[in-house]
Amino acid sequence: MSLPLYYYLAIASIYILMTWALYLPYRVAHLHFMVVANMAISGYFGGYAATQWGWPFGAALLAGMLIGALLSWLVSFGIGDAPTFAVVIVGFTFIYITKTAIENWDLIGGTMGMFGIPMVKNLLLYAYLFVLVTGIFIYRFDHSRLGRAASAKFVDKDLATSFGVNTKHLGMFLQTWAGAIGGACGVFYAFFMNSLFPDFFTFHIIGTTMTMLFLGGYTTMWGPLLAAPILWGLPLILPTSIASWRQIIYGVILIVILLLRPEGAVTRQFIRKIQVKLKLVKLA
Amino acid sequence: MEIFIAQVINGLSLGSIYVLLVTGFNLLLLVAMIIHFSFPVVVVFSMYMAWIVLGLTGNNIFLGVAAGISSAILFNIITAPMFQHIMKKRGEVDINSTMVLSMGLGMIITDFLSHSINSGFPIAFPDNLTGRAAGPFIQFGLISMSRGAFLALTVGIVFVTGLFWLLYKTKQGRAFRAIAEDPNGAKLVGLPILKTGLQSYALTGFLGGSTAILMAILLGSASPGLGDQLGHKVLAVSIIAGLGNLKGGLIVGLSLGILEALVQGYWTGTWSNAIAFVIMLIAILVKPKGIFGMKL
Amino acid sequence: MKKILVISIVLLLAAGSLWAAGKKEEVVAEEFVATEFEIPFLNCLTGPIASIGEYLQWGAERAAWEINQAGGINGVPVKVTGIDTAMSPEIGTVEMAKLSETALVAMGPVPEPVIMAAMPIAVRSGLYSFTATTSYEYAMQFFPWSISWFSPTDKKLPPVVTAWAKKNSGMKNVVQFVENYGAWPGMAKAHVIGLEAAGVNVLKEIEVPTDAVAFGPLVVKALAENPDGIIFAANAEKVAKIILELQSRGWSDNSKILVFSSADDGALYTTGGSNINGVMIYNYVDPGLDTPRWQAFREAFKADHDGMEPFSLSPNYYDAVYMIKRAIEETGVTGDPAKLKEERILIRDFCNNVENFKGLFFDWSNENGVPKDKPLFLFEIQDGQKVLVEKVVPTNK
Repeated sequence: MSLPLYYYLAIASIYILMTWALYLPYRVAHLHFMVVANMAISGYFGGYAATQWGWPFGAALLAGMLIGALLSWLVSFGIGDAPTFAVVIVGFTFIYITKTAIENWDLIGGTMGMFGIPMVKNLLLYAYLFVLVTGIFIYRFDHSRLGRAASAKFVDKDLATSFGVNTKHLGMFLQTWAGAIGGACGVFYAFFMNSLFPDFFTFHIIGTTMTMLFLGGYTTMWGPLLAAPILWGLPLILPTSIASWRQIIYGVILIVILLLRPEGAVTRQFIRKIQVKLKLVKLA
Repeated sequence: MEIFIAQVINGLSLGSIYVLLVTGFNLLLLVAMIIHFSFPVVVVFSMYMAWIVLGLTGNNIFLGVAAGISSAILFNIITAPMFQHIMKKRGEVDINSTMVLSMGLGMIITDFLSHSINSGFPIAFPDNLTGRAAGPFIQFGLISMSRGAFLALTVGIVFVTGLFWLLYKTKQGRAFRAIAEDPNGAKLVGLPILKTGLQSYALTGFLGGSTAILMAILLGSASPGLGDQLGHKVLAVSIIAGLGNLKGGLIVGLSLGILEALVQGYWTGTWSNAIAFVIMLIAILVKPKGIFGMKL
Repeated sequence: MKKILVISIVLLLAAGSLWAAGKKEEVVAEEFVATEFEIPFLNCLTGPIASIGEYLQWGAERAAWEINQAGGINGVPVKVTGIDTAMSPEIGTVEMAKLSETALVAMGPVPEPVIMAAMPIAVRSGLYSFTATTSYEYAMQFFPWSISWFSPTDKKLPPVVTAWAKKNSGMKNVVQFVENYGAWPGMAKAHVIGLEAAGVNVLKEIEVPTDAVAFGPLVVKALAENPDGIIFAANAEKVAKIILELQSRGWSDNSKILVFSSADDGALYTTGGSNINGVMIYNYVDPGLDTPRWQAFREAFKADHDGMEPFSLSPNYYDAVYMIKRAIEETGVTGDPAKLKEERILIRDFCNNVENFKGLFFDWSNENGVPKDKPLFLFEIQDGQKVLVEKVVPTNK
């Protein structure tokens, strides 16, 4: 495989996973930006474990996921059932704290960053296997009783509660999984880049992944899967004069989609139409 | 003691920026039910507009101020239909959508400023606007308060008091809130929706524009990233105070300014932001609806 | 007789091999004739530091234009191609990956986040890239596939700081403002070495928060120490604002303020205005130099930038293009894609140990990718201009 294609696919896998990490808690209307902090913490942990303790990639990945899940789980006790804006600000808080801690911790490179994270053979394959497994997990969730409960909570929290949905546990469950995926993303990112820098994990990731989520559609897992590779690839193929307005293009896309198609490009009805066309399901 | 007083005054001056911004943010919530996350970015945009007109008119203060205020009003009125379109379907989720829409607007403004104005470099306001040449308002040793800080603090308090009176004590204010909370009900009782809606957007725009001018006087300069830097804190202050709580915003905004000044002055600079956010995080986790309660 | 025979055979063999070698070269030359040397430059042409990216790009393109006016590299025109990463590490990786397949040599990336993400790819694919605006501590991580434009921070900075301290002989106690970004804390440590060498005491380091908007608290903290000198290792805009705040609280002697090189950009001057007159600043190039080459560069830059003085890092990539020219000419690099790997190494080894390179401002030599004898300059700021106070040549030892 050519090296540019390798890196395009590598970063695409990161964006798909990160957008899914946002998608999961957004099933209950939580914009859980803490996943960016999870990404940074687990990425640095994985990088440190590999360079200093000689950990293999698999062990670093597992540990990164566990750390991400654990942190998100602990925080979810406070915000598992909180209003969205509170979840947002908690996410920002963790991003600030994480960045400050990284910058002040010389052991992990401080402001200079971390160098020399080893290369891993077949890493791209592992990344897409991980995308596949995560996709299957999300698909199973979306089509389970819990998934339907999440949809109910998204539309009307009180109604969901009256049907016996424990909205707090559901929120905690989704935030924890999002943390695990964010953590895994950090480890993949560290091993793809072979070095880490505090500025890798800041608010630009939020802007990009949020646009991917809303453009693709936040009601099905297929939206992010479609939007992430397209939006990430867009600035690479556009001429510089147009690509230079990337952030503005993202902003305009975000606004236009919110106004014209608030549920995003790929909605549940859209998926159903395709399924009917492919005769995967019968018309009700 | 001198240093402590100096730092508290520094904190009040920083806090006055938060107060002005959080008041505008809360006002948008109260009169339009919008979580305008990027409100500080819009304010910075108005600072840039004022700077451009100052440059074009040979530092004509009147025209500069007029440009700052009118650009904020115009921006608000132009973007209002977008927010209203989203708000057609009510509920918690739609408030989230207004926040995302606002983030999208913020992305566009910030990138526009860093691309197209002054080669992306920070802009500096002339001395005849900032009043720098006239010296500080108060000065005893290390204790100092600039004229800009004094003005911002005074106007911040006046704004909060005035808006509180307007929204809760006048018929017009009740109309604003009624339309924000239940447009159909308001229509049924005969309130002029369009006129009142436009007035409320113009009012928030006026507040944003005035804040821009006060920030220009107080800070003396602006950069494209300034709005984003302030945006996160303004949202946090508003949540801790209780969304829409004007009085709470005033108290928490000033307290945050003082907290930051004391942390930076007596402890650490690099950690000051993180510490401020940790304290705010604890406040949010303990009192998710804000210390002073939501006023929505 | 036997001896003559042996000598004849040896001579014959030598002549034969020379002929063969000559013939081989001739064949290759017939096979490949470069029509253009393209030097890709991984730069930030858009995004938050787009204007700085343009100044760097301008320097590189100016060199290419001059070279082409003078007949090109070995008669072949040279072209600098700007590749925009928009300061995104992710885009940087893909763009560097593209270059790793075809480029003979590259310039950039800028700045540090993109260097960190993209340089491992250059190292992996054996592509030599000119990281000419970052500090030694970043460039060295990718040796020998990167080049450092500066000597190690703890060696290069102390002498110029000592020089500043000695200019202000009565100055005994200094406070340093430090922002936690990239190599800046390392530069702040180097300042301390320089101050101590001059017998000046560093009272306190004031940490400058990255996203600070008001600076009263930091300035009060600094002034509470009663310093008689101030030194900065922070972002340009913040430095200007802190100086204004210091002045509003009674600081009057600007010559006892020293600003580090990374703050020498437009934001310092646009924010500081005439209030920073008299402030001292150090950097690696002297804009007051009176040589025709520099004056031509300066005038051309001003003409293209509404009369603005050249950005202090613009000459770096100007010099980089000239260094590549010299490497190609002196090592006989052809640009033949079939010889890509060997010719990349030829350029790399030449530049990493270049002798007496004629830069825009001064001549210097490299040793294993690090300059040996580059000077630093101490200036006083006057109405947006830098007036030379002293030239200091540090050693790498």
